[in-house]
Amino acid sequence: MKKQQIVEKSMAGLFFLCACVSIVAVLLICYFMFANGIPAMKEIGFGNFLLGTTWAPKNEPASFGILPMIVGSVCVTLGAIVIGVPIGILTAVFLSRFCPKSLHGVLEPMVQLMAGIPSILYGFFGMVVLVPLLRNIPGCAGVSLLAAAVLLGIMILPTIINLSESAIRAVPDSYYEGALALGATHERAVFYAVLPAAKSGILAAIVLGIGRAIGETMAVIMVAGNQAILPRSLFKGVRTMTANIVLEMGYATGIHREALIATGVVLFVFILIINLTFSVIKKRGESA
Amino acid sequence: MNKQTMNKRIFGTLLVGAMVTGMLAGCGGSTGADAKGKAEASAPSGAISVISREDGSGTRGAFIELTGIQTEDGGSKVDNTTADAIIANQTEVMMQNVSGDANAIGYASMGSLNDSIKAVQIDGVDATAENVLDGEYSISRPFNIVLNGDAEGVSADFIQYILSEDGQQVVQDAGYIPVDSNAEAFESDNSKGDITVAGSSSVSPVMEKLKEAYETINPNAKITIETSDSTTGVNSTAEGICDIGMASRELSDEEAANLQSIQIALDGIAVIVNPENATDNLTVEQVRQIFTGEITDWADIAE
Repeated sequence: MKKQQIVEKSMAGLFFLCACVSIVAVLLICYFMFANGIPAMKEIGFGNFLLGTTWAPKNEPASFGILPMIVGSVCVTLGAIVIGVPIGILTAVFLSRFCPKSLHGVLEPMVQLMAGIPSILYGFFGMVVLVPLLRNIPGCAGVSLLAAAVLLGIMILPTIINLSESAIRAVPDSYYEGALALGATHERAVFYAVLPAAKSGILAAIVLGIGRAIGETMAVIMVAGNQAILPRSLFKGVRTMTANIVLEMGYATGIHREALIATGVVLFVFILIINLTFSVIKKRGESA
Repeated sequence: MNKQTMNKRIFGTLLVGAMVTGMLAGCGGSTGADAKGKAEASAPSGAISVISREDGSGTRGAFIELTGIQTEDGGSKVDNTTADAIIANQTEVMMQNVSGDANAIGYASMGSLNDSIKAVQIDGVDATAENVLDGEYSISRPFNIVLNGDAEGVSADFIQYILSEDGQQVVQDAGYIPVDSNAEAFESDNSKGDITVAGSSSVSPVMEKLKEAYETINPNAKITIETSDSTTGVNSTAEGICDIGMASRELSDEEAANLQSIQIALDGIAVIVNPENATDNLTVEQVRQIFTGEITDWADIAE
């Protein structure tokens, strides 16, 4: 009996340690980012860093203003939402309430597959198919804010579809049946009774999609043009924060390197805000 | 605001024109099977789309320095590359961008040129190895290997090989320019051991070929090549992480204080345009003006 207790105790300890690994990893990343980034921001000056519009790390004296990249990231993400969210939610509605069983068996794995495609492949697709297509638009350089937004819109689809679909499926059937009993058609019942009930789940899906979009790097680098200037139009290039870090990390030394880490800190803060929003929405959904 | 919209409209209309012309030229090229390449090139017009590499890239560093895009004034150095330039983070992406856009101009290492793009003459000089070696082609740079102290064993033997007749032949076959055309034939001392060579992604393709050839001559040696960039290569050598560093630029004064460099090859940087573009010749000054944004339209390039 005693032996078994020891095993039980030690296994519980082991599981606890496993749980600690991820927590420690997150804490270490937090510590590393802030410990390296904040001094750099101080040295450059918070105003100059966050609101400066010139990024010229190799100039002497260098200037490190990341406002263009912050605005770039926000614009690209907004574009991705405009494109990805309606398509994603409508697909989820179709999959959960309108789709014939046989078709569902094909579509569901397809969406899963989309989630598994490495982002560099999306990047190639964007570079080889999307960018030449966009060059046909007058005034569009091909590699542009629009290209990045469309590509990210596609990339966040699986996140939004999967989470929205499970949110819609989690709505009790009584909602739908009740609506039908009151004389609503199938479509009305889905869009006015079921969908509103799944609201918080769908919002959470969108927030996670935003997180994916703002953190995406490889695909964006290949289609965004990466000019470190404030975006001027949909058809001109932008540089996102992630692109800025990856483009120059291999070469950066000294304060340049620290400025890139500081860019990472800003990105990290964005992600923290997004995840916080996610958990707030989720909690509200659960308590409602 | 209104004026701006107006300008944009006019600009857009012009571009449509340019694009239709471009497309027609493209179609002509594909349907006329007997008419090959150059015959279909049309006089360029429309906004130049400038494509550059990322800050810190060895190719960009060499290019902006050699063409005067980077200006030095006392203690300050300014990279004047136009902020409108699209940034490609790899040679492949650069090629893809230039080959897909009739109005594009970019630059790439001579060793990586192919048929999807066209290299223009600089000051009337073709971008070829002979011209770089003669010193007539102005946009060229050295490939260096970097050592921390004296080389021993496999490192020394490998360096001997690179600088020998056989090694320099490999350099030439790879499309780069050998530094010593009268080098002596190589004889290995059959040293045994593992070494690591790390650094510039511009140098690593030719280093791979040198390694393959050397390992067949001296099967006792094992060479590992790690590709990153010049600065990482130099730093790794200084820190002793690798035995030999690769740099596609001269060492800075700080770096040269502790390390020695040996030139193993020369590389030219070609200015590349779309094959549909009829421009064949640019001056260094025109290249500078294009990349700094002083010239923004192909129509302004006087032949």
